[in-house]
Amino acid sequence: MRFVLRRLGFFVITLWAAVTVNFLIPRLMPGNPAVAMMARYRGHINPSALHALEIAFGINTHQSLISAYFAYLGNLARGNFGLSLTFFPDPVMQDVLKALPWTLALVGTTTILAFALGTLIGLISGWKRGGKLDGVLPPLFVITSAFPYFWLALLTIWLFSIKLGWLPQSGGYDVAGNGPSWTWSFAGEAVKYATLPALTIIITAIGGWILTMRNNMISVLTEDYVRMARAKGLPSWRIMWTYAGRNAILPNLTGFAMSLGFVVSGAILVEYVFNYPGVGWMFLQSVENQDYALMQGLFLMIVLAVLTCILAADVATALLDPRTRDLR
Amino acid sequence: MTEELLRTEGLTRYFRVGKLTRKRTLHAVDDVGFSIGRGEIVALVGESGSGKSTIARLLALLYRPTRGEIWFEGKPITRLKSRNAKLAYSGNVPMVFQDPYSSINPAYRVSHGILRGIKLHRPELSRRQQYAELDRVLDTVGLVPARDTRRRFPYELSGGQRQRVGFAQALAFRPKLIIADEPVSMLDVSIRAGVLNLMAELRAQEGVSFLYITHDVASARYLADRVLVMYAGHLVEQGPAEDVLQQPKHPYTQLLVSAVPDPRAELRLADARDVGEPPKVIDPKPGCRFRQRCPLAIARCETETPQLRELGDGRRVACHVAE
Amino acid sequence: MSTSSVGATDQLATPPVGPAPIVGEIKHGRWGDVWRAISRNRKAVVGVLLMLVFFVLAIFPGQIAPYDPAATIFPPALGVSWHHLLGTTAYGQDIFSQVVWGTRLSLVIALAAGALATVLAVLVGVSAAYLGGVTDGVLSLITDVILVIPIFPLVIVIAAYSKSSGLGTLVIVLGALGWSYGARQLRSQTLSLRTREFLEAARVRGERPIYVILFEILPTMTSLIVASFLGAALYAVLTAAGLQFIGLGDPNSQSWGTMLYWAENNEALGAGMPLWAIAPGVCVALLGASFALLNYAFDEISSPALRVRRLERKRLRPVPELQPEHTPFEPGEQSQDVVLRVQDLSVAYATETAPVVAVDRVSFDLGNQEFLAIVGESGCGKSTLLYAIARLLGAPMAGEIIGGRVLFQGSDLVLLKDEELRPLRWRNLSVVMQSAMNALNPVLTVAEQMRDACEAHSDMSKAEIEARSREVLRLVSIDPVHLHSYPHQLSGGMRQRAMIAMALLFTPDLVIMDEPTSALDVVAQRSLMVQIKELQEQLGFAVIFVTHDMSLVSHFSDRLLVMYAGQIAELSPTEQLFTRPLHPYSRGLLDAFPSIHGEKVRLEGIPGSPPDLHHPPAGCRFAARCPLVQDRCIETEVPLVAVNGSLVRCLRHGELAK
Repeated sequence: MRFVLRRLGFFVITLWAAVTVNFLIPRLMPGNPAVAMMARYRGHINPSALHALEIAFGINTHQSLISAYFAYLGNLARGNFGLSLTFFPDPVMQDVLKALPWTLALVGTTTILAFALGTLIGLISGWKRGGKLDGVLPPLFVITSAFPYFWLALLTIWLFSIKLGWLPQSGGYDVAGNGPSWTWSFAGEAVKYATLPALTIIITAIGGWILTMRNNMISVLTEDYVRMARAKGLPSWRIMWTYAGRNAILPNLTGFAMSLGFVVSGAILVEYVFNYPGVGWMFLQSVENQDYALMQGLFLMIVLAVLTCILAADVATALLDPRTRDLR
Repeated sequence: MTEELLRTEGLTRYFRVGKLTRKRTLHAVDDVGFSIGRGEIVALVGESGSGKSTIARLLALLYRPTRGEIWFEGKPITRLKSRNAKLAYSGNVPMVFQDPYSSINPAYRVSHGILRGIKLHRPELSRRQQYAELDRVLDTVGLVPARDTRRRFPYELSGGQRQRVGFAQALAFRPKLIIADEPVSMLDVSIRAGVLNLMAELRAQEGVSFLYITHDVASARYLADRVLVMYAGHLVEQGPAEDVLQQPKHPYTQLLVSAVPDPRAELRLADARDVGEPPKVIDPKPGCRFRQRCPLAIARCETETPQLRELGDGRRVACHVAE
Repeated sequence: MSTSSVGATDQLATPPVGPAPIVGEIKHGRWGDVWRAISRNRKAVVGVLLMLVFFVLAIFPGQIAPYDPAATIFPPALGVSWHHLLGTTAYGQDIFSQVVWGTRLSLVIALAAGALATVLAVLVGVSAAYLGGVTDGVLSLITDVILVIPIFPLVIVIAAYSKSSGLGTLVIVLGALGWSYGARQLRSQTLSLRTREFLEAARVRGERPIYVILFEILPTMTSLIVASFLGAALYAVLTAAGLQFIGLGDPNSQSWGTMLYWAENNEALGAGMPLWAIAPGVCVALLGASFALLNYAFDEISSPALRVRRLERKRLRPVPELQPEHTPFEPGEQSQDVVLRVQDLSVAYATETAPVVAVDRVSFDLGNQEFLAIVGESGCGKSTLLYAIARLLGAPMAGEIIGGRVLFQGSDLVLLKDEELRPLRWRNLSVVMQSAMNALNPVLTVAEQMRDACEAHSDMSKAEIEARSREVLRLVSIDPVHLHSYPHQLSGGMRQRAMIAMALLFTPDLVIMDEPTSALDVVAQRSLMVQIKELQEQLGFAVIFVTHDMSLVSHFSDRLLVMYAGQIAELSPTEQLFTRPLHPYSRGLLDAFPSIHGEKVRLEGIPGSPPDLHHPPAGCRFAARCPLVQDRCIETEVPLVAVNGSLVRCLRHGELAK
């Protein structure tokens, strides 16, 4: 599994790059923004936490950049991101973990759903090239994939929530109700609130995957081995799945990895518009409040999530394509 | 004996293969020595993996040799540093490529490549002289009227015409030796004769030598004065074309010649049993690389790499057994 | 030419890259191609028109917008009216004017950031691929890292820390982060160009690397660079709008994003001013859509496979009726000794201009256990004919059967539908293709590929299938241990033989072969031919063997069919064709092969080219190149006539001196 090891190495390098970026940017910006933030903390937190924040933002100029960097890395490894200003005095880690399940539920499921559905539709559309499905869907989805996520969110709110009143327009759950709990009724409520955001994400994200899968499929269908499968008189479904589909999906998995960044970005905006209490919404809140500690923690969490998905896609590629296992 | 134009000795080229942890060496060309005379057509014959294309690129300075040296008109050229010296050499020894569909840049008209070559190698010419030269080379290769052809895009020409453009590009430098890397392999059979005859004419009229690289033994016989036979990176036999091909001495040459389909001869099934393929030469041990497929192999072939030895009449063979 | 690089592996630690856009033939100069492609593609036209509208709005906002966009002089929250086409905002500004004025900023951001990103993408992508080695490794790693880190959150982080949020900063940040996708594509395209010989030719010529990159590589990638620019512009529009929407842009600027910001802050949707939020969003969406449509159109340009062309049968000249006297056997029901009868088979395919008839009324009979070789040069239609007989036309082998019959085992294959053909396939009629590397499914083992053929046509048990698979592999001298290998693990010759073994699973009555030995060396070719012949005699099947090399089949075929420009030129017993060819083309072909042992004579070849089948000549198609041509040859169509057991299409057959 040399291939997977290599991808793991890439994972580590990218994570390291994100962490370093987090470390360097506040120091590179003119007019040290962290200083202003620190002023608001003073008097409210204990010295060791203060010290950790100083390290994180390089306020304490007694340390050289290098040692500050390693201290920072050390803190990160222990899960110490500092304290949040927005949800003072919670440690950042705690807040991040509070928001994570909401995002995983919404963004995680919708992304997988959009990818799976998109790939399936693209597969069929490409297979029945020139049919009715193929004439309508690709141009339609070319256009929808260009919509800004947040605008589509606004549209769906206006249509389904304000005009039709079917679904709620804000929040992850009913704030006037009983609050979060591990019950079926709460789960149902959460689903109701998540419906519009989910719809928005799926509509916008699915277009890209339908198109790439369709195009891959059409390319693969011109390959000799597909013609060979027809010559062998294999049943249509087997040709479509095992000969065309399995080969066409490989570059789609790569495409999944590359477009994940866009989907995540869009999801952030969707959460913002819907006030949905996930990682993205919290991230934008932290930006508004200039809560840099929380912002950094959430940023790293986002990067981590994306990288994990990409690693999963790579493992899937390795399983599906025997050539990668012999990669020379 | 014609005057020697180009000579190589011990020409060797290795490639690294494999990833970081396990580096291995591919011996593409190993210890090859031959010479080409003025106005001579020498054919380099071999199958895939024999190293013939690598030799072409070594002579064109696209690769640096791992070992060995190449002399042109008596001067060594592999370690040339200055741009001018290298330009001078490539002006004398240009290359014509195999694939007429990818050897000319499709984005430009036909005149582009030729004029660039003229500008680079004969900067003393005025603009009008450059165009005159462009027309001259197009005429020489048979693409008449030149005025018409030079305005065309490659896609408007047939495969045979594009190959002629390749020769025109080479001729524009006023070369002494043209390296022709499988120039007719991708052309239709009915067109090949025309291009082969063109090479013979260029030799006769302009005095240009050719290194004609091919896997088609019959065309080598048709065109060449001398033949060099390559197998798995080694030069295994060389000599006058007719002699080598009618009475091959090396067992591989014998196999190769017997495999060429000749409709006018009887089919000799005896040799058809062979289902071997040329080896990929990675980290080889010493010994003859043909031994696995050779009907005459002896114990010595296993341990000692045969060197080229003289057999008289300008013939050399790298084999312990051949007479 | 393979149209896809599915499975082509990168050098760095990245999984297989998807089908890279292919350069294809550049037909009308670099820009001519782009122009034609756009003007013929409906999506592209719509995209261009949309963009033009926005360009006009951006250049002449003062003339089009009725009011000053920032002026808060009107009553707030008005609805749609003639004075205010889109109503007014909560601050009393005219929404329509704001939208018009907002175009300029949005377009500037899109184009400037897009341009910056494209320049960076070209620099990084092309250099990485051209320079290779460590440089490539480092640049690719940087590209991949930036590609993977979500840009939007990163930009937010940067924007959050920085004081200035002006236009310039925005453009630079977007451009500096948005190049990675384009760089990746350009790198992959340049890599595939590295094997194109014109780059080597430029180096041999003595060009400097900078010249090669700028003037040899880039001009061939115009389409890709434009597509890359469009993608970057799209991303810039959306990201900028998003940033402004959440308040990280300059809130006093006139842009669509800031309109949305203010609309959201004022609860525009709920407060009865929905157009305030919807209108600028529509503009962003439309501008984005125009870029996306053009991008999509470029995909179609660079991948010929994606262009659908319908065959316009009406434009074809009517195919004449069956003419039975052309066949050497009795017309009527098939005799016992004939396994395949082809009658007046014609195939046409669509092109950019008129449809082309690639195979024109070909007729022949194939006897039981006969070895028929079909010989011809490029464009003669031999492969098209072969696949038409096997009913395997369709991408990439374009074409449809437009007339004729293919009588096999009591049915006319032309009339049968796919479902009806299926039982015949592989059991009675199998196919061997030219390149096993392309014809074998790369993700299945040899055993699996044999098994699915067996399962599709019989109810053999797993054990029986395995036994049979081993048996056929042994027939072609392959050690059965290779059953569980993947195609890429076998050597070239072995793959080819494995394909032949697979074709013999059911010992069919007819095996058709499309140049199965072309990819092999001459020694391997000969042994494969001998093997095929032996198998044929042992198992008793008929063979149709397509090749461009007459001498290859000279010892193996019973009869030879010579094709020229879509028609049969001559069909004779092999030995007769080699000793007494009837057609001047056959004669010319024979004389074009240099002989290895015979007398050394000057080869003439056949100067000229085959006719353009878009406009086939009225008379003999070989006339332009024929040494025996006369006036009557050019005037009327030449019929195929039977002569002593041969067929020949020549008015002067038999006049060839020996």
